[in-house]
Amino acid sequence: MDGPTDEVEDRSLRPLTGEFWAAVDRGELVRPVCGDCGRNFFVPQFACPQCQSTNWIYVPSSGRGRVYSHTTVHRPPTPAFDAPYVLADVDIDEGWHLLTWIVDCEPDHVAIDMAVTVRFVTGPDGHRLPAFTPDVVAR
Amino acid sequence: MKGSHPLHRVAIVGVAATEMARQLDTTSAEISLRAALAALGDAGLTSADVDGVAARWPGPGGTVFQPGSADWAEVFGRPLRWVCDTYPQGVPGALDAAAAIAAGLCETAVVFGGQAGVMGGATVADYTRPDNEFIACWGSLTAAQFALVAQVYRHRFTPDPEKMAAIAAAIRNAGHANPAAVMTGRGPFTAADVLASPMVAEPFRLLDLCLATEGAAAIVLTTAELARDLPQPPVAILGGGSEWHRQQYVNPPRYDEVWGLGADAARRAFELAELSPQDVNVFELYDINTYEVVRQFEMLGLCGEGEGADYLADAGIGIDGRHPLNTDGGLLSYSHIGWGGPTLKIVEAARQLRGTAGPGQVPDTEIALVTGAGSGAQYHNVMILGRG
Repeated sequence: MDGPTDEVEDRSLRPLTGEFWAAVDRGELVRPVCGDCGRNFFVPQFACPQCQSTNWIYVPSSGRGRVYSHTTVHRPPTPAFDAPYVLADVDIDEGWHLLTWIVDCEPDHVAIDMAVTVRFVTGPDGHRLPAFTPDVVAR
Repeated sequence: MKGSHPLHRVAIVGVAATEMARQLDTTSAEISLRAALAALGDAGLTSADVDGVAARWPGPGGTVFQPGSADWAEVFGRPLRWVCDTYPQGVPGALDAAAAIAAGLCETAVVFGGQAGVMGGATVADYTRPDNEFIACWGSLTAAQFALVAQVYRHRFTPDPEKMAAIAAAIRNAGHANPAAVMTGRGPFTAADVLASPMVAEPFRLLDLCLATEGAAAIVLTTAELARDLPQPPVAILGGGSEWHRQQYVNPPRYDEVWGLGADAARRAFELAELSPQDVNVFELYDINTYEVVRQFEMLGLCGEGEGADYLADAGIGIDGRHPLNTDGGLLSYSHIGWGGPTLKIVEAARQLRGTAGPGQVPDTEIALVTGAGSGAQYHNVMILGRG
């Protein structure tokens, strides 16, 4: 798809996570940071998982991290996704992690501990998504 | 019955599993009810004896309570004294029911469930497609969530692919020999067959992964005192425990957090039973994939981290092995029926203890271990069963 259509939901209106998606739409990666204990966490929760404070805000991320784990999906859950694609759990430098894709890289070249940086791509529903690309492209 | 612990004053007195198939021409409600009535019949009881229910109400219709155990009062035609709406299936459902019976909240409980008329041929089951906004957008599926755990294990320990595949082949060969299994007669399988099957999500190939099929399972629990007057030899709950690590299918599971998931529950369960994992005669482990089987032997402490594939190759997991495993063919090959899958493990363990398990019977089974869920799901549970 070329971009969001009229039918695409406005993700910025979602409770708790709207600000994250609004930032993604601007090409910015943010994460919750606790105002009391400083903990970075993800996914967004109403309270900090370390100190249970509700005093947290979204703070811009460096968008840099390393691959904690990855798997190449050959049989997607729905036909909307074009297999193969690389799912990964990426550890972000600030101390949080998220499920994402590794793009711009042959699936066989993705490796645990590979350094990666955020790159925004368009998902099958027309929304932008924060994928990651290797810092040094192995070919 | 064993000692004085409250769980030891409860017995499993009836079990049943319906026919299993990729698709059945009935509804989830009907197949679930059939399993419940069959288990009651097996126990020498009727629906009039039931005053406790742990069972999802699959609809159509129903009340606001979810998953809806209380709705079954309508079908059983009598008020219930106890219902379980946290996790009304498998080990957690059975342990909750046993605790309720031991506490006198009810006397006879039935734990049941399954699915029918919902699987659409080749598509994957709904429940294998997590709908969380940070999971679904990436095209993840439950197999991929478990794969993220397995990949770190593979990276650190490089288990022999042949030995890993041999585990799937052995479980599938138990299913091949089980006339009730969905995959009956579809083998025999070798490790090479598993390694030649198509890749789904690395490192899992099709034959490493469990089925998504239709059917239902049920168990009946009552007091050990009442059990003495019933037709079947009672099955004792010797110990059990659960661990709920995190929200399911929200954050990706982390190997370093979840590879040992269940160890604390298992330790408590074996302490309660005054047994050790070496005493188990039959393992009915939750086999959503091959790595999960290895993980659970390591979690139980029967071998060290990273040693599971070698250990099981040496020990043997067939009927004549040191660790007979998933004797009905497991979720890989017998059946996996949504809200009844975890309960199937208890049905097979009870049959092993009664000595009526059919071609998969392990001679002189006295202690059986049942587990549920796993690392990718971020929760795990264990139950030790014995002859009552």
